[in-house]
Amino acid sequence: MLVTCFNILILLLVPFLMTGIIKKTKAFWAGRKGVSIFQPLWDFLRLMKKGAVVSNTTSWIFKYTPVIGLTTVIFAALFVPMATGKAIINIPFAFVIFSYVLGLGKFFSLLSALDTGSSFEGMGASREACFSTIVEPAFFITLASLAALTQNYSFESLKLILQNAGGYGVLIIALAVVTLFIMLLIEGCRVPVDDPTTHLELTMIHEVMILDNSGIDLGLITWGAAIKMFLFEALIANLLIPLSWGWWESALAFLAIVFILSVIIGTVESSMARFRMTHVYEFIFIMSITALLILALVVYRIYGGG
Amino acid sequence: MGIYFFSIVILLLGALLSVVIKDDNKKLKSCSICSVLSTILTLIPAIYTIKTGMPLQISIYASPLLGYVDIVIDALSAFFLIVISIMSSLGIIYANGYMKPYLNKGMNISSHCFSLMLLVISMMLVVTAQNALFFLIVWEIMSLSSFFLVIFEGEKKEVISAGIKYLVYMHISMIFILAAMIVLNAQTDSLRFMDYLAFMQNNGAHANLIFVLAFIGFGIKAGFVPFHNWLPEAHPAAPSHVSGIMSGIMIKTGIYGILRFLLLIGTPSKIISYAVLGVAVISALYGVLYAITQHDIKRLLAYHSIENIGIIGIGIGAGMLGLAYDNTFLAVFGFTGGILHILNHSIFKELLFFAAGSTYLKTHTRNIELMGGLIKKMPYTALLFIIGSVAICGIPPFNGFISEFLIYAGMIKGVPASGISLFIVLVLSIAALAMVGTMAMLCFTKASGVMFLGNPRGVDIDNVSEAPATMIFPMTVLAFLTFFIGMYSQYFISYASIPASMFTNGVDAVGDLIYLFDFVGNIGCYFMLFLAIAVVILVIRYVLGIGKKTERHSTWGCGYNRPNNHMQYTASSYADLFISTLKPLFKRVSHIKKPKDLFPKEAYYEQNIEDIEEAYIVKPLIMWDEKFLTKFERIQNGNIQQYILFGLIFLILSVIGMIYFGG
Repeated sequence: MLVTCFNILILLLVPFLMTGIIKKTKAFWAGRKGVSIFQPLWDFLRLMKKGAVVSNTTSWIFKYTPVIGLTTVIFAALFVPMATGKAIINIPFAFVIFSYVLGLGKFFSLLSALDTGSSFEGMGASREACFSTIVEPAFFITLASLAALTQNYSFESLKLILQNAGGYGVLIIALAVVTLFIMLLIEGCRVPVDDPTTHLELTMIHEVMILDNSGIDLGLITWGAAIKMFLFEALIANLLIPLSWGWWESALAFLAIVFILSVIIGTVESSMARFRMTHVYEFIFIMSITALLILALVVYRIYGGG
Repeated sequence: MGIYFFSIVILLLGALLSVVIKDDNKKLKSCSICSVLSTILTLIPAIYTIKTGMPLQISIYASPLLGYVDIVIDALSAFFLIVISIMSSLGIIYANGYMKPYLNKGMNISSHCFSLMLLVISMMLVVTAQNALFFLIVWEIMSLSSFFLVIFEGEKKEVISAGIKYLVYMHISMIFILAAMIVLNAQTDSLRFMDYLAFMQNNGAHANLIFVLAFIGFGIKAGFVPFHNWLPEAHPAAPSHVSGIMSGIMIKTGIYGILRFLLLIGTPSKIISYAVLGVAVISALYGVLYAITQHDIKRLLAYHSIENIGIIGIGIGAGMLGLAYDNTFLAVFGFTGGILHILNHSIFKELLFFAAGSTYLKTHTRNIELMGGLIKKMPYTALLFIIGSVAICGIPPFNGFISEFLIYAGMIKGVPASGISLFIVLVLSIAALAMVGTMAMLCFTKASGVMFLGNPRGVDIDNVSEAPATMIFPMTVLAFLTFFIGMYSQYFISYASIPASMFTNGVDAVGDLIYLFDFVGNIGCYFMLFLAIAVVILVIRYVLGIGKKTERHSTWGCGYNRPNNHMQYTASSYADLFISTLKPLFKRVSHIKKPKDLFPKEAYYEQNIEDIEEAYIVKPLIMWDEKFLTKFERIQNGNIQQYILFGLIFLILSVIGMIYFGG
């Protein structure tokens, strides 16, 4: 029970720190002092106190989407092994539920973007919907291959690769990390796919979909987006932490990995520009390729000589 | 069994009443009363069969030609009977509202009602008939009555041409089914399915041939790619309740036929199982891909029927592979998921067609590019359509997720057990299913977003009002069902697992079944948790919002303050990024007239996306066919003397033939 509470606390609070760390890293590379890493949390709390401006065009979809979005990410998080190495709901085929529940949030965020009747937001929605058609199959190939490899169908399969993959373990883990990291950049709307800080609507994906949100709604959405990105960091962390570790060891390693990943995201963001929209596809297809490579390695491991 | 016949008699009575009653307004009412009554009666034997697992059976000696006609309600038939009876009566109730503008205009409502009732009767008989000839007769009645339903607005040219296309496709389908039946009849000298069972299981090669013939025949009805072309034509042409019934349940009789033949052959061979899975995966991808390109809402939904038939097929194909490889988990989950998806698809597809019909009735257009903002005028219809959209994308907590989840679970756990080819095929099928899900999401956010949200894009919606209660009521029932099946999935899974267990009879699947119920029963609890979290967040959001000022303002236009409705994102632009990425898969036909001169008068740009299967396979075939047949034009010259001569020549030839070969 205590452990579960600890996990939930981490789930709800660490995402703020994570975005704070990313901002701090970017500030570091830019030679600035930067804001405190708690700034996203203060921003969130400030937004909670604000009123809102709502478009005349919108309907109930726009009103309830932030709540639905936040609910879906929190619910999806229950299936992911968190800091202490255990998922709150540890069931087989959890990744299907995980992915489809996030899909519910995405469905409504797309509708909410169309609800405003703005051409910018429609464009963002179109891009978001389009990219996820390539992301999801790759995610499913990866997870299904790993499940087959480890004979474990929950998210714990991520932690069991080394024991089952023989000599290919490190390679498979590396490929899986790449796959999930690209997915993180796409779903978390980070450079080089999307730029969360730009104010040029034409180049954005996710940020442009929430142009019309303000006040509490905006706060909930940014919090939800941070948790979503945190979930993918958690998945990557699971790849690197073995199942056999005790809860405090995993927790420490988990937080360390989240920290390192956030620094990496910040570094990537400082060191490169976002891709042109036509090149984003090429970037996403890397994920499909690594996923297929994982499949090939797993097949070779099970049926080949290895 | 008596109750079942009684319910059919009631339906017949409804059909006759609709002819006898003079008043247009009362015809549909009498039909709906009869169909609701018969639904209640049909449910009794059907649920009894599913609950007890005991088939109800009766043999009637009909005539020397037909021999014994077996009417059997086994678990599979019972499952289909439940789907058919509930969905058709909801459709007929909906028709009361939908047909109102057509009444008292001198249109032939009687024949429409009569065909509608006949369609329901024939579907109910199709799924219970176990005599080849009787089966073919009711199958043909089903095709013909639905043809008459499709051409209800026959004064429109495109309706008639769609109707004829449908008729042609149905008869090609008939040829294949007939061929399968003829082979069986010739080999066993019997018309009864029970005699076929023994024959099919002992003759592998024959069984495969027969199954392939039957699969093509029934696949045309079901709408598997590449036999799907009639769907996107016939569904838009038909009135909405007919589209709902046809797409929701009639095409499922094709699936029924495939399943029935599958029962006859027992354990399918590996190659056939792979073929079924392959066709299903292609259908699912192809259907949703083309759905994205459509702007006619009913065409879009028709393509989604192809997609969902594909998903059902993936379940069945996975189940067949499970049988072929002796992988019980895959078999149990595949069949259960596929069969449950039949029920699920019939619910949400009918819901979507009905909601689309309501908007058509109010806006008089099916083009989604012209709609927009309808959520303010038709809030219930919009809500129901969005529920249907979420359900069809397979998103929890609605019913579509449950069946897709079962199929996923079966395939994921089925992966490691057996063989390298199965391994790769299953993983790629999983990826395809995931891709289908996200593409469906793209398509349905497009459809519901452009239809209901934003500002009006063309049609003046000032006079649009909410649909009448007779239309809202059946849709509400359907929406409730989608949610209910999602939340209390364990009951429905256990119902679906009984017909599924007919296929997995030969294998020991008890452990897998227990796993199925235990595990999936919990999913409903998780969704309760989901709702609880949502309520908590909603309450917090509400409490935080108290006392905060909310201003209404126009949509943010980057500082531009006079946006107009044409600046919104349209359906085409929403889908364009995706379509342009997959350019080679579509045939784009553009009509452009560029502005000319100093004072350009008119200019337009129009782009259509044609079905490549139709453009590159069907059309060339028809062209070739026409070219070939026009050579025989001379024969048909209207000269009676010559026709008599042809008759004479034919007679002489047949006499000669008889003399030669007869002895």
